[in-house]
Amino acid sequence: MNPLYKWIGDFVHPPKEARLDLGRRAVLAAGLAGVGAKLLFGIDPQASKRSFNPALIRPPGALPEEEFLARCIRCGECMKVCPTNAIHPASLEGGVEGIWTPILNMSVGYCDYECNLCSQVCPTHAIRQIDVPEKKKIKIGLAYIDKNRCLPWAYSKTCIVCEEHCPTPKKAIWFEEAEALNIQGEKLTIKQPRVDPDLCIGCGICETKCPVKGQAAVRVTSVGETRNPENQILLSPDSFAEG
Amino acid sequence: MRMGLLSLDSLSAAPTSALRVPSPQPPALSVAHYKSSPAEPDGIAEEARRLTRQAIDALGGMNRFVSKGNVVWVKPDIGWDRRPEQAATTNPDVVATIVEMCYQAGAKKVLVSDNPCNPARLSFPRSGIQQAAEKAGAEVIFLDERKFRKMSINGKVLKEWEVYQDTVEADRLINVPIVKNHNLCLATLGMKNLMGVIGGPRNRLHQDLGSTLVDLAAFLKPRLVVLDAVRVLTANGPVGGNLADVKRKDTIVAGVDQVAVDALGATLLGYKPESIGYIAQGNARGLGTIDFNSLSPKPIEV
Amino acid sequence: MAKKKKTSWIVWLRRLTQTGFFLLFCYLFLQTVYHPINKAGRGVTFFFNLDPLVALNCWLASHAFVGAMLLSLVTLAVTFICGRWFCGWVCPFGTLHNFFTSLRGGRAKQKIETGAYTQWQKAKYYLLVGFLVAALVGVNVVGWLDPFSFFFRSLTTSIYPAINKGLVALFTWIYNANPGVGPVRLTAVTEPIYGFLRKYFLTAEQPYYWGSMLVGVLFITAVVLNFFRARFWCRYVCPLGALLGVVGKNPLVRLKKNEEKCDSCRLCLVNCQGGATPENPLEWKPSECFYCWNCQSDCPAQAISFTCELRLEKKHDEPVVQVDR
Repeated sequence: MNPLYKWIGDFVHPPKEARLDLGRRAVLAAGLAGVGAKLLFGIDPQASKRSFNPALIRPPGALPEEEFLARCIRCGECMKVCPTNAIHPASLEGGVEGIWTPILNMSVGYCDYECNLCSQVCPTHAIRQIDVPEKKKIKIGLAYIDKNRCLPWAYSKTCIVCEEHCPTPKKAIWFEEAEALNIQGEKLTIKQPRVDPDLCIGCGICETKCPVKGQAAVRVTSVGETRNPENQILLSPDSFAEG
Repeated sequence: MRMGLLSLDSLSAAPTSALRVPSPQPPALSVAHYKSSPAEPDGIAEEARRLTRQAIDALGGMNRFVSKGNVVWVKPDIGWDRRPEQAATTNPDVVATIVEMCYQAGAKKVLVSDNPCNPARLSFPRSGIQQAAEKAGAEVIFLDERKFRKMSINGKVLKEWEVYQDTVEADRLINVPIVKNHNLCLATLGMKNLMGVIGGPRNRLHQDLGSTLVDLAAFLKPRLVVLDAVRVLTANGPVGGNLADVKRKDTIVAGVDQVAVDALGATLLGYKPESIGYIAQGNARGLGTIDFNSLSPKPIEV
Repeated sequence: MAKKKKTSWIVWLRRLTQTGFFLLFCYLFLQTVYHPINKAGRGVTFFFNLDPLVALNCWLASHAFVGAMLLSLVTLAVTFICGRWFCGWVCPFGTLHNFFTSLRGGRAKQKIETGAYTQWQKAKYYLLVGFLVAALVGVNVVGWLDPFSFFFRSLTTSIYPAINKGLVALFTWIYNANPGVGPVRLTAVTEPIYGFLRKYFLTAEQPYYWGSMLVGVLFITAVVLNFFRARFWCRYVCPLGALLGVVGKNPLVRLKKNEEKCDSCRLCLVNCQGGATPENPLEWKPSECFYCWNCQSDCPAQAISFTCELRLEKKHDEPVVQVDR
C-alpha cells in the first residue's frame, strides 16, 4: 500500500505511542465543561439584552457584544497600541466571559478623535477595520454632567475645560450662561456646560481632562453606543455634524 | 459677532504723525498682510514665509531679538492632533521661517516644543510643525517629565507652578501662537499659548484665566511674539475641526508687547480687547498696553 | 556517568532560531505603537496569524475567518510532518519557559525527576477539548490561555509598564541626584543612554492598566513554575501545544535509537524539554516532543538520532523506507 495513505491512516488508527491516551470520561467532562461555560455565561444579566453595564465601553469599531466576545482573543494588541492609554483589560464589566477583553477607562485616557489604531491591529477583527472618517461617526457612549461636582454648577466657579477639549467639529458640549449667586451673595454670570446627546460620541476627553479629581464631574457611560441598538436613550440616535 | 477685517487705514491714521520727527526707537509692533489670498494649500506656504519674514524685519530683524550663540526656545501652538488647514495649531511655515531667521541671526541652538493637550506623538507630526521645524534645522523636543520644576511665579494668583526647566533656561523665548476662538475667554492668543510651557494641573487655571495668564506672561516674558493669523479659527475653538470655521486673514502680527499683540489679535476675530479678561488685566497691571495703536504699529502690505 | 560531550550543531541552530523568533516577538511588541501619521506598525500581529488555535476558535465561535489567519495553515502543515517543532523552535513563550527551565539548578538526577513525563501532561488536552467545545457553542475564551495572548497581554499590561517605570525611576534618580566628582558627572553618560532608550524602547508616557496586578502575578507564576517542572506551561497548560500535539501525533520525523550503542545512562532524560521519554523509542511520545534535539546532543554514545521515515507497520522496529536526516 502507498506509504502516504498508510501514514494518513495512522491518524485514524494510531499506533500505540502515537495515541494520546486520553481518558474517555475525562474528555467528556471537558466537553461538558465547555458547554457548561456557555450556560453559565448565558445567565449573566449582561446576556439578557435588558441590562447594560455603563462601564462596558468598547473601542470604536467593536462588533456587537455577542459577536465581539466570540472573536476577541484577549490578546491586548489594542491596549498596547492605544496612544492615550484609554483601553484596559476588563475585569467583570463584560461578565466573566469578558475578562481581559478591551474596555475604555476614561479616567485614565480618552479615545483620540483622529485615531483608529486599535482597529488596525486587532488580529481577529473583533474591532472591525474602519477608517478614521467612519470612526468619527461611531458613538461609543455618551457623556453626562454630574452637576453635584461640576465647578460651574455646584460651586459657581469658572471652568468649562470639558467644552474646551471637546473634539467634535460642532462641539458636543455647549454652555448656558446662567446667573448664580456666590457665597457673598453677589450675582455672577457663569458658563455652565451642557452635553448635546446628538453630537456626543463618547470619546471621553472631557472626563479625562476634567479638573475635578477623584471622580470627574463629566463622565461617559456606554449608553448611546452605535453598535448596540438596545442601549439607546434618544428617539432618533443618528444625527452628527459634518466635519 | 462682527468679523470685519482689520482696517489698515485706521492704523496709520491714528496719531497725527505726518510732520512728527520719526522716533529713533525701533517699532514695537508690526502687522504684515498679504494683498492676495492664495489658494490652499500650496500658495499659503509661500505667503506664510514672506509674511513672517517681513513682519519681523519691520521690527528691526531677528538680530534685535536673538544674539549670536543664543539658545532659543520657539513656542508654537502644537496643542491638538489637527492638520494645519484646520487652524488649531500654528502654521508650520511660520514656525520654520522663525527657526531659519534665528539661525541666520547667529543662534547656537533653536528648540521647538509644546506641552500639548492631545498626545505629543500625535499632534507634533499631524500639525506639520515637527517636519517643518526639523527641516529648518531646529531640535524638536518631546518634553521630558523630569524637567518640570516648581518655580516661584509670584503672581497675583499663581504663587508657585511647575514650569519646564529648559524653557526658562533658554536665552530667548519666542511665542508663536495662532489666533483662535475660545468659548471661555473669547480668544486664545499669545498669553494663553504660554500654557504650553507649564505642567502640573493646568486645567485649574481656567477658574481665573484673567489673572493666571497675566501671572504666567509676566513670569515668562517672551522676547518676541509672532501671532499667526494666516488662518484663524472663528468658532468651536480652540480644537476646531470643521473647515467651515476656518477663515483666512492672511496676516502676521509681530511685537514685543504681549498685551498689545493679543489686543490686536482679538480684533482680528471681531472681539473688543477690553472684553477679554487677561488682556484687560494685563493692561491694568502694567504688563503691556491694550491700546495697540499707541505703539504706532507698522503696517506692511505684501 | 559518561563525560558531557560537545553540543550538537543542531542544538545551536535551534537556540539561534528560538532567540530569533523571541527577538522578533519583542520587536513586533515594541512596534505596536503609534507611528506618524496614524499607523500602527506593519505586521505586528504576525504571531497571532501563525496561531492555528486562534484561527480554529474564531472560526468555530463566530464563523468568521480573517485572511491573515491562512498563515496558520503553514504551522499545521509543518506540524503534520515534523511534530511540535513549533514549540521547540518558534514559540517565543516556549522559549521564555525554556530559558527559565535551563536556570534550574540541581544535579542530573533531580533534573530527570522534574523532567520526566507525568500523566498530568494530559491536562492540556482536556483544556483544549473544553475550549473547543465551548467555541463550538459560541464561547471563545481560549484567549485566556493561548500562549501568544497570554504573553502579549502580560507584557502589555504588566511587565513592560513595570520595566518602563523602573528604568525611568532609575534615570530620574540619577538626573536629580546628579552624582559625580567636580565637573565630571554621571549624567554625562546616563543622559545619552536615557535619550536613546526614550526614543527606541521606553513609552512616551508611563502607561497604567487596571487589573495589571493579577495579570502580572499570573505571568510570574507561570514562569516560576518552570523550577517545579521543566517547561511547565508547555507541558501541562498550553492549549496550542495540545492542538499541535494532536496534529503532530504521528509525524514523519521520528526518534530512532541504536540499541547496541545505548548503555542506559539516561543522560538523554536530563535535558528533555517535553517529557517525551526519549530513552525508550517504544515509549517515545511524538505529541510531547518539542524536537529540541537535546537528547541526541547529550547522548555520549550517539545512540539517538532523528530520522525522517514513514511507518509502514504497527510495529516500529522494521521501517522499510528510511531517509536520513
